[in-house]
Amino acid sequence: MNFKNRTYWLFLLPTLLALLLVLIIPFFQGVYYSFTEYDGFQVTSFVGFDNYIKLFSDDQFLYSLGFTAAFSAASVIGINVLGLSFALLVTQKLGKVSTLFRTIYFMPNLIGGIILGFIWQFVFLKAFTGIADVTGIEFFRGWLSDTETGFWGLVILFVWQMSGYIMVIYISFLNNVPKELLEAATIDGANKWQSFWKVKFPLIIPAFTVSLFLTLSNAFKVYDQNMALTNGGPFGSTEMATMNIYDTAFKVQDMGYAQSKAIVFLIIITLISVIQLYITRKKETEL
Amino acid sequence: MKFRLVIISLIMLASMSLIVACSSNESGDNRESSGQGDEVVVDLFNIKVETTDQLNNLIDIYESENENVKINVTTVGGGQDAPSALQAKFSSGEAPAIFLLGGLSDVEKYNEYLLDVSDMESAKTAIDGTLEGASMDGTPYGIPLNIEGYGWMINKDIFERAGVDPSTIDSYDKFVEAVETIDSQKEELGIDSVFAFSAKEDWVVSQFSSHFTAPEFGNDVKTAFESDELNFEYGDRMKEYTDLFNQYNYQPILSLDYSTSVEELFANDRAAIIHQGNWIVPTLNSMDESFAQEKLGILPLFVSSDTEGKIVAGPSWYWGINKEHDEEVVEESKKFIDWMYTSDKGKELIVEDFKYVPSHEGYDTDSISDPVSAEVYQYLLDEKGKIWANNQYPDGFFSEALHPEFQKYLGEQQSWEEFKEATSNAFSEMR
Repeated sequence: MNFKNRTYWLFLLPTLLALLLVLIIPFFQGVYYSFTEYDGFQVTSFVGFDNYIKLFSDDQFLYSLGFTAAFSAASVIGINVLGLSFALLVTQKLGKVSTLFRTIYFMPNLIGGIILGFIWQFVFLKAFTGIADVTGIEFFRGWLSDTETGFWGLVILFVWQMSGYIMVIYISFLNNVPKELLEAATIDGANKWQSFWKVKFPLIIPAFTVSLFLTLSNAFKVYDQNMALTNGGPFGSTEMATMNIYDTAFKVQDMGYAQSKAIVFLIIITLISVIQLYITRKKETEL
Repeated sequence: MKFRLVIISLIMLASMSLIVACSSNESGDNRESSGQGDEVVVDLFNIKVETTDQLNNLIDIYESENENVKINVTTVGGGQDAPSALQAKFSSGEAPAIFLLGGLSDVEKYNEYLLDVSDMESAKTAIDGTLEGASMDGTPYGIPLNIEGYGWMINKDIFERAGVDPSTIDSYDKFVEAVETIDSQKEELGIDSVFAFSAKEDWVVSQFSSHFTAPEFGNDVKTAFESDELNFEYGDRMKEYTDLFNQYNYQPILSLDYSTSVEELFANDRAAIIHQGNWIVPTLNSMDESFAQEKLGILPLFVSSDTEGKIVAGPSWYWGINKEHDEEVVEESKKFIDWMYTSDKGKELIVEDFKYVPSHEGYDTDSISDPVSAEVYQYLLDEKGKIWANNQYPDGFFSEALHPEFQKYLGEQQSWEEFKEATSNAFSEMR
């Protein structure tokens, strides 16, 4: 027993070591820096909670948190609705075509965020303007030049990127819905609509737990798409929390302050994720 | 049992060797740069993306002449965040031997690493006053890379077709008149708009602001760096210029980026005026050889005086040398920079290949091939050049405060007074 215990820890050792080096130590270092004035080279002074007090009166930071929250809400809804619709579509018995669609829907997820940002920048700036010139519809003009179109531009990009991935999760849960239950529902005279809402839907609630968790935490942490598409512009109105933190650290060179923002941001994400997991877990139905 | 033990010891060994490998890697690098054997390795950090090819070419030539030296170039810039990358290099212990400094704040930041360059040949031949931008307490810490100038870059062809002679524009009112004349003939001239000011780019806005802040700082680099307030003494003129270009600009101005502004609108004769500098010449040349030769011109801004126009011209970047490296590396770094600016071959490449406006004396000015660069050089010699005040702003000021606030004004989100107040406050706070 004693020996078994030792082997257990020995096997864990490499991973623990790696985690310690790249995650745990830097984390505590970060907490320490958040209490100091630090320019990336040297700690100039220890300032206690000053950084934390300062950030509650930092309008731009609070704005970017609000913007991130709004963005997350819009994209979580968009991604899950679209992902589930895609999943329902490709689980219909369509033969080869459904495989093709699966591939197409999943493809955006394979492209990196920066490239996606530039692709969509081209679409919004060039292609949309082209459409506006040809058709004369003003809706397509001036995208990304104001806050509203910048916001929806980001949401569209992120929904487009993530919904294929979320689709895969829903597909696996939809395929696991027992055939006999659906059959029984059909015999009882349920139409497609009813058998979806009354049979399939309650059984795929666990998929929502996973999908909501993934989309929510990813939406909060978006950086590269934001950087490539709008870079916070116009006038910093589409700047997300991550970008605000990065800019404080590397452009203003105020690492200590940026670190305190990052810690607050971490606490917020953790709280939201835990609450979300708790709520959706409660709704899951056991077979 | 035995089998288990073997496995365990294997894992232990693997993880140990991993740690050892990590640490030995580092010492390996050190040994290399300290030049054991015959070869001295010099790491160079380059930010000027536009002339990477030219720099590599110059290094190839240098290396073939000096076989014991190997120069490794890392280029970061353009869309990437070069200053952060440089700082990361220093923090991670891979500090380069030669690197580029943007302004006095960089000199201050890297001060403990920087070598006093005053005894270098290339410092002695630098044009009077150009060392100022990298000097602390009278000691120069950087060799100017080149001279760059900016102002209104114009398409002379469009001006002439509209019946405006650019050389007669000698006051602010004449400039406004010219803009209005061109605007009234937009369709005949086949242009989209008179201006194509790219307000999406924070650095374009920052450079534009420099015309108005440089005179406030007495046109002195040191004053600009030490000033802890910005009062917009010339704010009224700045507002007039801003309103003017905003009215006649390609819209939406807030999402107009560099490449659309320069490569699409300006280079294709679709816009007559942009706010840029002579660094766009290579880009224009790569698209149309004749453009820079025949059509490109530069117009000054009339700020402190209604009748005397000035552009901003001066060294934008400085080569700094890291004195913390081994003596051989430092020596070779000095030799390389000296060779680049004072040897005949180096001089020839700087003017003809890099197409730089030289920041050193002893160059043949006739060899500056494009008219705008020659014009920039002339402005500098005539003392009609202003300092790059924007390089002396506090860290992050232009991207985090000036640019967003300026965009808010352009987008009619706030008044000019509010812009000035918000920007001034941020300036004092960030200093």
